[in-house]
Amino acid sequence: MLEQIELRVKGLNFYYSGGIHALKQINLQIHSNQVTALIGPSGCGKTTLLRCFNRMHDLYPGNRYEGAIHFVKDDILSPDVDLISLRSRIGMVFQKPTPFPMSIFDNIAYGLKLKGTKKRADLSELVEKALHHAALWDEVKDKLNASAYDLSGGQQQRLVIARALAVKPEVLLFDEPTSALDPISTAKIEELMEKLKKEITIIIVTHNMQQAARISDRTGFMMLGELIEFDRTDKIFTAPSEKLTEDYVTGRFG
Amino acid sequence: MLPGFLKGSMTREQFRKAEGFTALVLSTLAALLGLFWLVFILGDVLVHGIKALNLSLFVNDPVPPGVDGGGLRNAFVGQLIITICATLIGVPIGVLGGTFLAEYARGTKTARLISILADIMVSVPSIVIGTFIYAILVRPIGHFNGWAGAIALAIIMVPVVLRTTENMLSLVPWTLREAAFALGAPYYKVITQVVYRGAATGILTGILLSIARVAGETAPLLFTSFNNSFFSLNMNQPISSLTVTIFQYAMGPYDNWHEQAWAAAFVITIFILILTITGRLIIRWRYR
Repeated sequence: MLEQIELRVKGLNFYYSGGIHALKQINLQIHSNQVTALIGPSGCGKTTLLRCFNRMHDLYPGNRYEGAIHFVKDDILSPDVDLISLRSRIGMVFQKPTPFPMSIFDNIAYGLKLKGTKKRADLSELVEKALHHAALWDEVKDKLNASAYDLSGGQQQRLVIARALAVKPEVLLFDEPTSALDPISTAKIEELMEKLKKEITIIIVTHNMQQAARISDRTGFMMLGELIEFDRTDKIFTAPSEKLTEDYVTGRFG
Repeated sequence: MLPGFLKGSMTREQFRKAEGFTALVLSTLAALLGLFWLVFILGDVLVHGIKALNLSLFVNDPVPPGVDGGGLRNAFVGQLIITICATLIGVPIGVLGGTFLAEYARGTKTARLISILADIMVSVPSIVIGTFIYAILVRPIGHFNGWAGAIALAIIMVPVVLRTTENMLSLVPWTLREAAFALGAPYYKVITQVVYRGAATGILTGILLSIARVAGETAPLLFTSFNNSFFSLNMNQPISSLTVTIFQYAMGPYDNWHEQAWAAAFVITIFILILTITGRLIIRWRYR
């Protein structure tokens, strides 16, 4: 099977305001329709790297990127990139569920309305589709007008995934999406990702190495802002080429 | 502290118990003293006010002193108009200003400075604001007018609404804003559609409490909208208000003036109590 490259990170350096050099010379390629996991000890820069893909760092003044991330043919890091359209093409799911203070229906409809869908009938159809997509429809179909806060943590996280999927992104970024959830909800989300990668590209930051091993096709191991090793997941977990990677995945530190 | 001779005759433990008991008695007395006056004032207003309350008060305008009957329709309506205008001027400025501080200028020195100034403004005596408006909106025009009153009250409201809005917006977690940004929302939509929703009850409470705060103000109105013995809806002319009417009637020499002042005091007290209690209830219901 011919593997396509979705995102190409070239010589990426990232500095937080105050000059902390958080990412050092990162080079990697994210393959289309695969799950790419980023692992590494706390503070290694994996979340910082993830947040470069949708330019989340731009929300805070003083942060600075160097290098390039090619997305199809454009450079995400170019100053003339339209962040609004970039973020609707590259969605994000956060560690803690982030439902908006509105009804379940309105949560999903939010992104659709941003993109210009106005007709109630179209919205209803797309909301239902997104909820099916995130395997949440059966649980919420009778209470679409209830507050999103009435859902359990696991349901809220799937609601947020449905909300991100509704705007039809090409890439979805997950920042430790299951670290606040119980094992059953975690399993449901992992199952969902497995299904979703047929249509979109997924990048996930996780602290849980079993999770990375279970769901990802490729894994990057990071430490102190550097990408130590990037390879197929089975290779990273069974025959890593770097000593540091081996020590980390076998639990010798971290 | 107990005198030395007593100290000597007590064990350390007894002494500490006595100390604790003294503190308890003193603070209880202080609380009772404060409560006594509150109950006294409220009770007095209620007793006298209910006695003087009748329908004529709300549907009739004042009659010349010495003539029986008459009411304070002009003052009720005037108070309502002034308060509504003050709210319409003060609330948008306060909410938008608070939004600027909590969102666009978050963490900057400018924001800190404005917050501190707003805190100082909250404690500026209202009579100072009244005389200020007198100087810029009454004297140049040549006569008292309702707009000056509404603007004076609005100036008192702004810092209260501004600070509550700022605080309530800062309580909305940042991840919620990031989630909206991540969907491709521009900042103003993130604020108006997501952040305001999260902070709505808190901001509403702040608005209610600020209305309660200005509804009882007399000094700023005395210098601005003054009073009008006739029914008037014209904000360009002097316009009557409950508080200024209470002030004048209570100081006046006529018994029926005094009665009407009690009734007006009763009505405005109840109005402010309802606003304040609603505000508190919303807070409790929301932040249980």
